Amino acid sequence: MRAFPIAIVAACYLVVPVVLGSNDYILSLVIAALTLAAIALSWALLGNLGGMVSFGHAAFFGVGAYTSALLAKDLGVPVFLAMLAGGAGAALASVVTMPALRLRGPYFALAILAYAQIFRILANQMTGVTGGAGGILSIPPLPTVFGFDFSSKLGAYLVILTLLVLGILAYKAIRDSYWGLALKAMHDSEDATRVIGVPSTRLKAAMLVVSAFMAGVAGAFNAHVIGFLEPDYAFAGTWSVIPVVAAIFGGYRTLSGPILGALVIYLLDQLLFKTLMPQGHQIMFGVLLGAMILFSPSGLLPLLTKPFARFKPAKRTPTPEKRHAAAA
Amino acid sequence: MTFRSRSLACTAAAALALLLSAGPGSATDFAIGSQIAMSGALARVGMATNEGVTVAVEMFNRAHQGRHSVKLTSIDDESNPAKAVSAIERMAPDVQAFSGGYGSNIIGPASETAERAGKVYMTSGGVASELVKRGLTNFFRINNGEGYSRALVGLFGDLDIKSVAILHSTKDATQEVAHQVEDGLVGRGVKVSTHAFDPAISDFKPVLHKVKVLDEPDAIVMIGYENDYVGILRAARVMQPKVKLISGVWSLATGKMANDFPELMQNVVGTSTLPYPVAFTDPEAQEFAKVYKELYKKAPDYLGVFGYVQTKLLLDAMLRADEAGTLKQPGGIAAELRRTATETLIGPVRFDERGDNPEFTHRMGQHQGKQVVLVWPEKAATGPVKFPATPW
Repeated sequence: MRAFPIAIVAACYLVVPVVLGSNDYILSLVIAALTLAAIALSWALLGNLGGMVSFGHAAFFGVGAYTSALLAKDLGVPVFLAMLAGGAGAALASVVTMPALRLRGPYFALAILAYAQIFRILANQMTGVTGGAGGILSIPPLPTVFGFDFSSKLGAYLVILTLLVLGILAYKAIRDSYWGLALKAMHDSEDATRVIGVPSTRLKAAMLVVSAFMAGVAGAFNAHVIGFLEPDYAFAGTWSVIPVVAAIFGGYRTLSGPILGALVIYLLDQLLFKTLMPQGHQIMFGVLLGAMILFSPSGLLPLLTKPFARFKPAKRTPTPEKRHAAAA
Repeated sequence: MTFRSRSLACTAAAALALLLSAGPGSATDFAIGSQIAMSGALARVGMATNEGVTVAVEMFNRAHQGRHSVKLTSIDDESNPAKAVSAIERMAPDVQAFSGGYGSNIIGPASETAERAGKVYMTSGGVASELVKRGLTNFFRINNGEGYSRALVGLFGDLDIKSVAILHSTKDATQEVAHQVEDGLVGRGVKVSTHAFDPAISDFKPVLHKVKVLDEPDAIVMIGYENDYVGILRAARVMQPKVKLISGVWSLATGKMANDFPELMQNVVGTSTLPYPVAFTDPEAQEFAKVYKELYKKAPDYLGVFGYVQTKLLLDAMLRADEAGTLKQPGGIAAELRRTATETLIGPVRFDERGDNPEFTHRMGQHQGKQVVLVWPEKAATGPVKFPATPW
């Protein structure tokens, strides 16, 4: 079963550039969709593994974008290095939000939302550093390395695809580790895992830092692709809402659901709905989302995989004797 | 007719057809793109500008019927920079130039994308000075912040105002115009105090209290957007500072404000291209108003005028480039635009090396009763200014 995801990644690297390489418009939509997918993945890392629902990923996206843009534009730091620093800046910003880890459920979600607003106001007020409400124009684009222009649409596509693949590998590595097991146990009962010695707060803090880093790198990438930043754009509610919508649409509590959701909702909206209804196309998207929640509450991914479920080998249930033997 | 004479006639007709179709100045189908906000925060202003763009295209097609035609493609950028970039990329292969955009934050990345595609980007929706400092060769705009500040400073000079309090939003364009107005007034020996406010605030009473008690100015200048003006004027009616005039810049002296907030706007002065109700005197303006009414069943507003002027200048340049045979050459349309020096509905227009219009100076209008009367400069005035006069 491992062959299928590898084939998809290979197709993304080899087939998509050949098919779409000459169409800048479609590629730019795919790049924007992959950027949203990267934020959705970072959100899912915190939500699925850390068990925390965030309504404020715009905070990390915006801090990453500003850090990278300012380092590259004002200090001349190479863009790829600045993007990593953008991720580190967002991770550092997540440390400031850690008092919110004491909260659970909707209280945590609202506290993170408040942090996003605080960062937006800071970006507005720190005029000397961020340019204030006026923002920053002409941010250095992605560089040319060994003759390959990463600022081209194809180059930017390969960069964001690579970032997303690295994010998926990091997610999988965490999920499959002992820490992943502990996080899974925390989902069922945080108190019980604490009793058996799992450092739950430290684990949640680590998830927050990793998630913020991923969202920050996505923000940094977006800043260098668009070439412009302002507080209202960098910390826009869209960056917080879309990952949640993508996760619900694609398949909550799965790895590929949020990525699939982000790609489908953005590309459907821009390529189909906007063509059919140039103004007010968001209504069609709203209807689709409503229908999805009503008819397939688990999201798009279970809906797509349902027809193939019968081909999967059934899980063997151990006999009572074997279960006792294993327990012994 | 003999075979020989028939052959001769056919050859002559073919040669004539070839001559008419091949040479410069023959029938050409032009194509322009308009990336503009039709939804999101800038939808109202974007749609109003796009109406002017559409009217300019319609008038061009009527004037050149049978010879040339222009196809306009408009895409909603949803008031989002990333979607503005996508819209430009989508249209770039099929159009020769762009006329559109609203908001410096949207125009910035969109025009850089047009530059990369080698296409002219013409606008009236972005006044931030940063836009013309980027070294783009295909970027042009017909208005700028200086034109707004020149008009305000000019009117205040004529009214002999000695002290001014400037209330401005911290947005890029508003902040920049506020600094330009401050510099202009200080240069004339006027005492100026400034109060910046966050675009999100809606209660202006604390700021007005400071203005009333500490500054005690002759006039208040508001530099923001429609919601800001309404908030400030509501607070001012409550606080009633002892000023002789309340004024502002864009989106203030408009028919929409006169209709929506008639009492609040009384005697308030703002930059304005047109009086309200609209009254045109020159033939081009009358034709513009007629076509506008045909298409949209209403009188044009100032955004429509700007959209019309920017598109008309672009189409004129494209026509000249076509006649010169440089339409499809890199830099052909831009070169023709740089040769532009003409009188338009918004005043004289010429473009400098950066694509800016150094001639741009706005007019000032005042809400008087249910009308907006042009009160400055004298040659454009449709009535005298009421001074001192406040909304209360």
